[in-house]
Amino acid sequence: MSGIGTGYDLSVSTFSPDGRVFQTEYAQKAVDNSGTVVGLRCKDGVVLGCEKTIISKMLVEGSNRRTYAVDRHAGMAVGGVAADGRQIVNRASSEAQQYKSFYGDIIPGHVLAERTASYVHLFNLYWYLRPCGSAALIAVYDRDGPQLYLVEPSGTGHRFFGTAVGKGRTAAKNEIEKLKLEELTCRQGVLEIAKILHNVHDEEKPFEMELAWICDESNREFQRVPADMVTEANTKAKAAKDDSDMED
Amino acid sequence: MAGFNFDLCKRNSFLESKGVKAPGYTKTGTTIAGVIFKDGVVLGADTRSTAGSTVADKNCEKIHFIAPNIYCCGAGTAADTENVTGMVASQLDLHRYATGRESRVVTAMTLLKSHLFRYQGHVSAALVLGGVDFRGPHLFTVYPHGSTDSLPYCTMGSGSLAAMAVFESGYKDNMSRDEAVSLVDRAIQAGIWNDLGSGSNVDICIITKGKVDYLRNYKYFMDKTYVRKFPVCYPPGTTTVVREKMVALKDVDVIEGEASEAMVID
Amino acid sequence: MAHLRQHADEFEAELKQAVSLGTTIMAASFDGGVVLGADSRTSTGNYVANRVTDKLTPLCENVYVCRSGSAADTQNMAAYVQYYLQQHRMELDREVSVSVAANLAKQLVYNNKNMLQAGLIVAGFDKKEGGSVFALPLGGTLLQVPFAIGGSGSAYIYGFCDKFWRPNMSAEEAKKFVVQAVSHAMARDGSSGGCIRTVVITKDGVRRDFVPGSNVPQHYGELGAQYATAMA
Repeated sequence: MSGIGTGYDLSVSTFSPDGRVFQTEYAQKAVDNSGTVVGLRCKDGVVLGCEKTIISKMLVEGSNRRTYAVDRHAGMAVGGVAADGRQIVNRASSEAQQYKSFYGDIIPGHVLAERTASYVHLFNLYWYLRPCGSAALIAVYDRDGPQLYLVEPSGTGHRFFGTAVGKGRTAAKNEIEKLKLEELTCRQGVLEIAKILHNVHDEEKPFEMELAWICDESNREFQRVPADMVTEANTKAKAAKDDSDMED
Repeated sequence: MAGFNFDLCKRNSFLESKGVKAPGYTKTGTTIAGVIFKDGVVLGADTRSTAGSTVADKNCEKIHFIAPNIYCCGAGTAADTENVTGMVASQLDLHRYATGRESRVVTAMTLLKSHLFRYQGHVSAALVLGGVDFRGPHLFTVYPHGSTDSLPYCTMGSGSLAAMAVFESGYKDNMSRDEAVSLVDRAIQAGIWNDLGSGSNVDICIITKGKVDYLRNYKYFMDKTYVRKFPVCYPPGTTTVVREKMVALKDVDVIEGEASEAMVID
Repeated sequence: MAHLRQHADEFEAELKQAVSLGTTIMAASFDGGVVLGADSRTSTGNYVANRVTDKLTPLCENVYVCRSGSAADTQNMAAYVQYYLQQHRMELDREVSVSVAANLAKQLVYNNKNMLQAGLIVAGFDKKEGGSVFALPLGGTLLQVPFAIGGSGSAYIYGFCDKFWRPNMSAEEAKKFVVQAVSHAMARDGSSGGCIRTVVITKDGVRRDFVPGSNVPQHYGELGAQYATAMA
């Protein structure tokens, strides 16, 4: 990136001469360099999966969470700086609650995504703030069916059939494109995500998978994928990877 | 933010409990009315304003300007009706400059009702609002608490019962201009003659597409018993001259030029 | 002379009183929609300020409200709900649900309960729930009900409505039920009268109708002279 040293990358309130905001791009880098997060919209729901590298052998399993429920019918997985992600989650859940108490109805997916994106965008507007170093994948199941949104540090929000952020995003997205998401159930989606995360993972370091879903099987509530199912998917994914490695 | 201050209410009620009688507001204990006819609206009003049981003004104006195509009759506290109609008139004036379009009667009605509602009935203005816009003629009554009614004929004020009796027996759909004016005239007169709060003369305002006829004192029943002459002219010699003394001015410079220049002394 | 003066003062005092809808209002759900009904009388004290009032006010395309209580309060509240729903519609980009409209109205009634005198019935049609009716009485409670009655006249027709309301009526049956009920209330309640206005909301949209005073069904005590003599 040519921003370094030019003086145009010091503040979020200054454009570079060719129309870029380097601080925003650096924030995106923070997401790009951290663990992969994958989201799939299947026919009966949405599955979110995170790759969490184990930073210490002494670490207790399941700590430092990356998936959060925002409301009964909505949840998030955050990639990038986990602490920034928590702020986004807090804001999203208060938006969901506020909407419910004012209108007496659950917040629709696109409204939640839009309001979350607006919040994230706020950090790109003032010289005394730094942008959010995290991206949020939002899974919603409302009267319009299951939906998946991605909100990025710049404040953009898009709806996807499937997407990924983080270190292995390019490879992950390639594999997602091969899936027939219209026919896939969330149960199958869990295995696909497990396979993708194993495939894109850097072999050297051990990692933990964190999976959450919202689907008919979870009673259209955002929940963590049951532990036995995660273990099973993990084993199957590992076996599949070993098989394909043997072929090479 | 402008608003009312109610600090003195406590003092007033205390004084009242001690037997002090507070002076009353000037009310337009009134008969006002309006009808829609074939191609417009006719508004009417009496011209008496009262303070308690005293007639404060025998020939006041109760049909207020709102916009070139909208007028408004006011009953209640004179200060409130005059000011509230004036405020709405100026807001609509600015709105016309901003939009470049003729004002709509519903806009005036909405401004009035939201203002009156905000003050929860403390602004005692009871209004009959009428006008013609691109959608045709409109007539509304507006109550002090901020409720409104849209009607083909309506009356307000202490004489409204008398006036409504005339309307209920004489109103027809699609009247001609002359029929409508005569009906409103009779309704206002019913108030003038039968209601003590109303009296003096009849004002009429006829609003049609692109034209307004404001007939001030359409019927003139009651002359003033005493008309003050103004300015007062005293004939020369009214004051007797007691003594005369002449003084000659000395050492006076006369400076030629304009008055303002002449004032400058250097 | 003195009594005339007194009369003028009384009117002034009456004007100071809130203009109120001593009213009969109701709404009933039926197979595929709702029907709302109301009388048309507005009074200030003893005086009928408006005998052709429209107490059925639209909140948005597919939801209407029956108003009772203070005319000023309910008219202005309806205007606020209209405004909120328009904003909501733009954000949502789809049909507003009846429950959301009723909730917004509740929010206003509950949060300003000390300022307002408003008894409302919110009713409408949406694709998800079909026809629904929400009663919203004075304190700000919100109740979803199959049918609701309100206003001073409603006291006279609880029995009638309990007996004659049935689930799964047709639109015609429901409308007839409402007109009958309101006419009974108008016959007994001095603060209700005039004509009967109805609004029917279905998937096909909104249909307004009104029964002129001369066609309102007559009941005991209002019947012609021949009945009086027949009974004697």
